[in-house]
Amino acid sequence: MKKENNSGLAYSGFEPAKSTVSFLRTLTVFLIICLIAVTVMIALINRLIKQHDKELTAEICSLVSEKVNNSIDHLTGSVENLSSVLSAQNASDLQQLYDELKRTKSEKFISLGLVDCDNNIYATDTEIEEFEKWHLLEISKFADPVSISSPYRSGLNGQPVFTMFSKLTYSGGKSGRLFVTYPLSEIQSIAYTASLDNKVEIWLMNAASNNIIQCAGVNKYSLGSWASALIQMKEINEEDKPDYFSWKEKMNNGEDNASLVYHINKELYTQVFSSIKIMKGWYIVVRLPSSSLSDTMVKFRYTVMGFSGVLFLATVVLLIIYHRRETKEKLLLENLSILDPLTSVMNRRAFDISAEELLSKKSRNGAALIFLDIDYFKQVNDQYGHETGDKVLREFSAALNDLFSDIGIVSRYGGDEFVVLLDTASRDIINEKLEQLTVRTKAINIFDEDDPRTGSFRVSFSAGAAQYPRNARDLKGLMACSDDALYIVKQKGRNGYGWYTDSKDKDYSYEGIKAAEDAARAQKKNIGGKHSRSKKQSSKKKK
Amino acid sequence: MKKRMISFLCGAVMMFSSCAADRSAKNDTPEIAPAPDFYPITEIKEGRKNIYFILKILEGSSYWDVIINGAKASGDLYDCNIYLSGSNVETDWQGQQRLLDDAEKAGADAVVLAPDDSVKLSEKIAEVHERGTPVILIDTIANTEEYDVCYMTDNLIAGQYAAKEMIAQLTAMGKQPNEYLQVGIQVGATTSLTISERLAGFLQYWTDNAPSDWEVINDIKCNDGDVEKAKKCAAELMDGYPDLCGVFGPNNGSSVGFASTVRERGRTDIAVIGFDYCDDLAALIDDSSYTASSILQRQYYMSIYATESALKIINGESPKKKFVDTGVIVINPETINTPEAQEALKNS
Repeated sequence: MKKENNSGLAYSGFEPAKSTVSFLRTLTVFLIICLIAVTVMIALINRLIKQHDKELTAEICSLVSEKVNNSIDHLTGSVENLSSVLSAQNASDLQQLYDELKRTKSEKFISLGLVDCDNNIYATDTEIEEFEKWHLLEISKFADPVSISSPYRSGLNGQPVFTMFSKLTYSGGKSGRLFVTYPLSEIQSIAYTASLDNKVEIWLMNAASNNIIQCAGVNKYSLGSWASALIQMKEINEEDKPDYFSWKEKMNNGEDNASLVYHINKELYTQVFSSIKIMKGWYIVVRLPSSSLSDTMVKFRYTVMGFSGVLFLATVVLLIIYHRRETKEKLLLENLSILDPLTSVMNRRAFDISAEELLSKKSRNGAALIFLDIDYFKQVNDQYGHETGDKVLREFSAALNDLFSDIGIVSRYGGDEFVVLLDTASRDIINEKLEQLTVRTKAINIFDEDDPRTGSFRVSFSAGAAQYPRNARDLKGLMACSDDALYIVKQKGRNGYGWYTDSKDKDYSYEGIKAAEDAARAQKKNIGGKHSRSKKQSSKKKK
Repeated sequence: MKKRMISFLCGAVMMFSSCAADRSAKNDTPEIAPAPDFYPITEIKEGRKNIYFILKILEGSSYWDVIINGAKASGDLYDCNIYLSGSNVETDWQGQQRLLDDAEKAGADAVVLAPDDSVKLSEKIAEVHERGTPVILIDTIANTEEYDVCYMTDNLIAGQYAAKEMIAQLTAMGKQPNEYLQVGIQVGATTSLTISERLAGFLQYWTDNAPSDWEVINDIKCNDGDVEKAKKCAAELMDGYPDLCGVFGPNNGSSVGFASTVRERGRTDIAVIGFDYCDDLAALIDDSSYTASSILQRQYYMSIYATESALKIINGESPKKKFVDTGVIVINPETINTPEAQEALKNS
C-alpha cells in the first residue's frame, strides 16, 4: 500500500490526483478533437489540390501539344520559304545552287542539301550515307509540298534528328526537293517551359507501330531514345487500362486530339495527344503528373500544418501551465479545509465526512476506530506553556501519521483528542501499531533549557478502540464504543490502550495498562495539580 | 498515465505526419565494390601510345568479356599499350569519373569509355576532352558533343533487322501474306532503353513491311531478367494464342526462354528470332527441323574501332562521323557458315 503522509488522504476521498487524471482525460479529448480537425482539414486541402491539378494539367498538356505543333509548323514554314526562294532563282544547275546553299550556316539545323528530279542527292558523303541508312530518299518523294522523316540518330553529331523535305522547282519547271535536318532538341527547346522543367514529358508517337520517341522529359538519359507505348502502358494501373485503350482507339481512328487520366501506382497523370499535320500517323503526346502543379499548394499545406502545430503546442503548454496553477491553488484550499493547521492531520469535519464514506464502503474486512487522548495535556499547557503543548500535539500527530496513515485516516478531533479510523479490524495489527505509538510517544522530548522542569516530563497517551462491524455498525456507535474503552483505560490510570467489549463486567479486555500503572502514578506526581479528573463526561457530551 | 500520454502524443504526431505526407520513399543503397586502379592488358612497351579503357563491368559478363578481348587484340593489332579498368556495376558512374581523372594523371594518350551514365558523366567527359585528351565512347553515347566518336549498336536498326528476319523466316516457312498469324514478344525489362529501342525498331519495320494479316500480339510479356519466368512467358504465349507462328526476344534471357520452350515442346511451326547466340538458340539453328535466327552484336569491333580511331585522332586526324553504328549480324542456317558470321561467332 502506498505510504500517505497527509492523514491518510488516500482513504479520505480528498485525493488531488483525481483532478490530474481528469485534466489528462480532458487534454486527451482536446488532442483527439484537434487531431481529427487537422486531419480533416489536410484531407480537404489534399482533395482540393488533386482536383485543381487534374483540371489544370489537362489544359496545360493541350497547350504544350499545341505549342509543339506550332513549332513544327514554324520549322515547316521556314523550309517552305527557303524552298520558294530557291525556286524563284530558277537555277539551271542544281550543283551550283547547292554550292551556294552549303555556304549557309545556322545553329538551328545540322545539314541541308538538294535532291534533283532524277533522285541525285546533292550533299556530303556522310549525309548521303544517312540517306541510305534511313531511307530518306523515299520520304523525300512525299514532299508535296513538304514531308518529314521519323526521328533517327544522326551519324554526324550522334544526336537524334529529323529531316524535312520541301518541293522546289528549277531549270524551267523540273521538280526537285530541298532537305533540312534539325536536331530533335529543337522541338525540346521550343516546348521548354521553365516552370514545368523536367516535369512535362513530350513524345512523338506513331499510332500504327505504337513507337514513341521522347522529345522532353524527366529522364534526360532517355531523350531522343525510342521506346514502345505497348511497354510503357504496362505501368498503368489495371483499373485505368480500359481508359488507355479507349484513348488509343481514338488515335487509331484518326481523331485530332484526346485526353486521358490514369494512375501509375499512386501518381495521377494527365496525357493528351494531338495529331501532327505534316506527319501522317504521327502524334504529339504530352504527359504531366498532377503533382507537378502542386508545389505551391503543397507549400501552403505545410504552412497550414506548421501553423496548426505551433498553435496546438502553444495551447497544450498553456493548458498544462494553467492546470498546474489551478492544482496548486486547489491543493492549498483543500488543505486549508481538510487539515488541522497545527498538526496537519485531518480536522474533525473532514474526518466525519471521510469516515462515513469509508465505513459505507466497508463490507467484509471490517474496520476499527481508536480514540486517543494525550495524558495530562491540560497540565502541560498550564505548566510549560502553549508552545510546549503545541509541540507535543505536533509530534504526537506526526507519530500517528507515520504509524497509521498507511492503513487509515488520522484526525485531531479536538484539543488533545485524536481519532484514527483504520481500514482493518485486526487487533494484532492495531495492537502492534499502538505499541509502536507508545514507544514513539515516550520518545517525544519537550526539554527546554530555560525550564529545567521539562526534562523530567514524559508524554503518554490513552486510547480506546472498537471494531466495525463487531461493536458498532456506524460511526456514531464506533465513537461511543471507543470512548467507553478510553474511559476504562483512564479509569485504570491512563498511559495505555484498551478494546471495547460488549460486557464491561465480564469480558472487558484491558491490554498493556498494568505495566504502565506505576509510570502513570509517577507522572501524576511530577505534574501535580488535578489530573485525576475523568474525561468520560466530556466525551459523552461530544457524543 | 504519463507513459500513456507520451505514447498518445507520439501516435498523434505520427498520424499527423502520415496525413500530411502523401507518400514516402525509402532508398537502400547497396554497397558497391570500388573501381580498381588501371592495369595493363597488353605488353607495355616504351614509345608506344597508351590507351586507357574504362568499361561498365569488368568481371562476370560474357558481353563485356568480348569487349575486353577486343581491347587486348586491338593493342596487338595497332601496336599500342592498353590499360584497363572500369566499374563493377553499371550504376557506379562516380567510379568512372575518378578513373577519367586517373587516366589523365597517368598520361593517357586517349581514353576509351563505356559511360555508366550518359547525363551525369557528360560534364567530366567534356572536361577531359577540352583539356586535349581524345575521348572515344563505346557501347553507350553521352549527352554531350564533347567527345570524338562513339561506336555502338544502333538498337533501333538492330530491331529492324530482327523484324526483317522474322518476315523472311515466316515467308520461308510458307506463310502467305493473306494468312492470319500472330507473333509474340517478351522482353527482359520494361525500363531498359536498349531493349525498348530494339522493340521499337522491330515494331516500326513490322508495321511498315509485314502483311496486314500478320499481327503482333499487343500483350508483350516481361520476364524481369529471370530465365524461368521467360520460359513461363513463352509457354503462356504458346498456350494462349493458337495462331502463334513467330516469337521475338530482344535480349538474351528472352531468347533463351523462347528457344528452350520451343525445343522442349517440339514446336517446329514457330519461328524464333532472338538476340545473342545462346546455346538453346544455337541448337535450334543447327536443327534443320526448326526455324530460328539470332541477331549478334559486334561489340568486339567496338574495341577494335575505338583503338584504331584513338590512334588516328592522336595523329591529328578527325573522324568523319561522330556516331558509328557497329552493326549486327544475322545468324541463321543460311548465313552461319559465311566467313563474316563465323568471325562474329568466334568473337561472341
